[in-house]
Amino acid sequence: MAHGVKIAESSCRGCVNCIKSCPTEAMRVIEGKIRILSEICISCGECLRRCPHRALLPEDDDWDYILSKRPMAVVTDPCFCAQFSWPPIPSLTAHALFELGLEPIFEEYEAAYDVAAVAAARAIKNSPETAKPLISTYCPAVVRLIQIKFHELIPHLAPVENPLETSIDLWRARTKKREPVTLVSPCPARIAMVRSPVGRDVSSAEYVISTSKLAREVLIGSGDPSKKVTIDSSTETPRWIAWAKTGGESMHVRAFSNQPVRTLEVDGLRNVISLFQEMELGKLRGIDYVEARACDLGCIGGIGNAESRFLSRIKIDNVKMSFNITEQYKKELEALYHAKVWMLRDEIVPIEQMPLGEDLVKAMEKLKQLHAVYAELPHLDCGTCGRPSCRVMAEDIVRGEGSLDDCIFRLKSRIADLSREIYELSKRLVHTMTPEGK
Amino acid sequence: MSEPLVLELQVKPLDFLAAGETATHFKETLKSLGLPPDICRKAAIVVYEAEMNIVIHGGGGVMCLQVEEDKVTIIAKDKGPGIEDLELAMKEGYSSAPDFIRELGFGAGMGLPNIKKNSDELYIDTAPGKGTKLRAVIYLDKRR
Repeated sequence: MAHGVKIAESSCRGCVNCIKSCPTEAMRVIEGKIRILSEICISCGECLRRCPHRALLPEDDDWDYILSKRPMAVVTDPCFCAQFSWPPIPSLTAHALFELGLEPIFEEYEAAYDVAAVAAARAIKNSPETAKPLISTYCPAVVRLIQIKFHELIPHLAPVENPLETSIDLWRARTKKREPVTLVSPCPARIAMVRSPVGRDVSSAEYVISTSKLAREVLIGSGDPSKKVTIDSSTETPRWIAWAKTGGESMHVRAFSNQPVRTLEVDGLRNVISLFQEMELGKLRGIDYVEARACDLGCIGGIGNAESRFLSRIKIDNVKMSFNITEQYKKELEALYHAKVWMLRDEIVPIEQMPLGEDLVKAMEKLKQLHAVYAELPHLDCGTCGRPSCRVMAEDIVRGEGSLDDCIFRLKSRIADLSREIYELSKRLVHTMTPEGK
Repeated sequence: MSEPLVLELQVKPLDFLAAGETATHFKETLKSLGLPPDICRKAAIVVYEAEMNIVIHGGGGVMCLQVEEDKVTIIAKDKGPGIEDLELAMKEGYSSAPDFIRELGFGAGMGLPNIKKNSDELYIDTAPGKGTKLRAVIYLDKRR
């Protein structure tokens, strides 16, 4: 199972900042270096934010290699357009990319994002009340979080393919071009989406690169396109740009639905997790659609971006968007919907975590052991044993992956006991000695 | 038959910030045992509603989770005012929660009906002034 995070061993100091930030407790420090349990990593990027030594990086492809390949098509996440000093208008960004010799495929986005919104709206309409709310599958970190930690919510995931993948499919079908495509990703989760996709066999993109790398190249390599391309105040920005920030997708789904849709938007992993916990308790009745994003403010908050998420949001808020479509376009959209270009090919399945024991009796035995081990630990969750908490330490021990002496506090008290014993031994007399200590 | 696994947690009165913690904790425990998701879900809902009842009405109490080979039992005990009319309390929408609690969004009168819906057996031992003891059982194999 590939994930979107790379470890720079030489930079890792073995501090425990990152392991505490992991929402699925997938990180350990072993022999002074960080290790990621890839089977439960959701590529959310929280650890990258927390690492003070830049030892955790997005696992993207080699930029020089990609640049050496020509021709090369690029499919950028919508937030890419908001990385620059000029307005987030795709025609400007496309101009800058052409100057670098890359071929952006923005022209397919409109249909891909529109059909995704239509598909979500129809899925909501066709779902019984008990299956609601549906949950957006746009954020791959959220999908994987559900696969690992919220199995009950899997039936709520809307079976809609990521529109970036759909864009590539549409582009290939229309142009018949065979050149490779690089996906430009704002976060480790989109990288993981290319490396090991969910809901399809292989990604339609061949390579993946971080937004910040391409943005830097644009800033160095091409001048401000707004000086060369004329835009006037009536220039409209396409609707899909709004998906870069929280609320954009919901707005799109509501606009393309022919009935009222009650949407709920949530961003930031901590918020997403509490919302899902509430949802599992059945507390979200009356909501039709949940747009959940792992990053603050949505994709513009991804760790792989160059621009401040706050400024990106202002830029997107300030552009004009229209949701009016012509009858002709409506028909085209309907045809795409029926061609099912938007549909996830495979079912999303839960990722089972190993239970403590192979059957309930053995698992209960292990859990009792776990409670006993846990009671021996200091409950400080200091991380010095290389695990995120005393509870995880206890679990590792009963699974046979550690010992109580990994705990520095336990070790200290054992040394104290031992030295007391040595001291007692040292006072014991042998027959040739007198109590004066000769 | 091996010894049942028993977990016990104190619930504080009117502590709405901590409400739901017991449900999350018990559910994680059941998940780690590898129990099927629908059992975990039902148990979590029962625990949550019972916990809320202790928080709102019971003046604090104890939540207890017992796991045996064939069933999960949830016991909620409090020393609160007790339930005057149990039949009425089991009705959907009936609530005796004070206004300030309803303003917080709780006390919709769905607690006990929800517990009944999500458990296979439900016993409530209560009398005015004597407190309430609730015991809900969820069987792991429904065909029994």
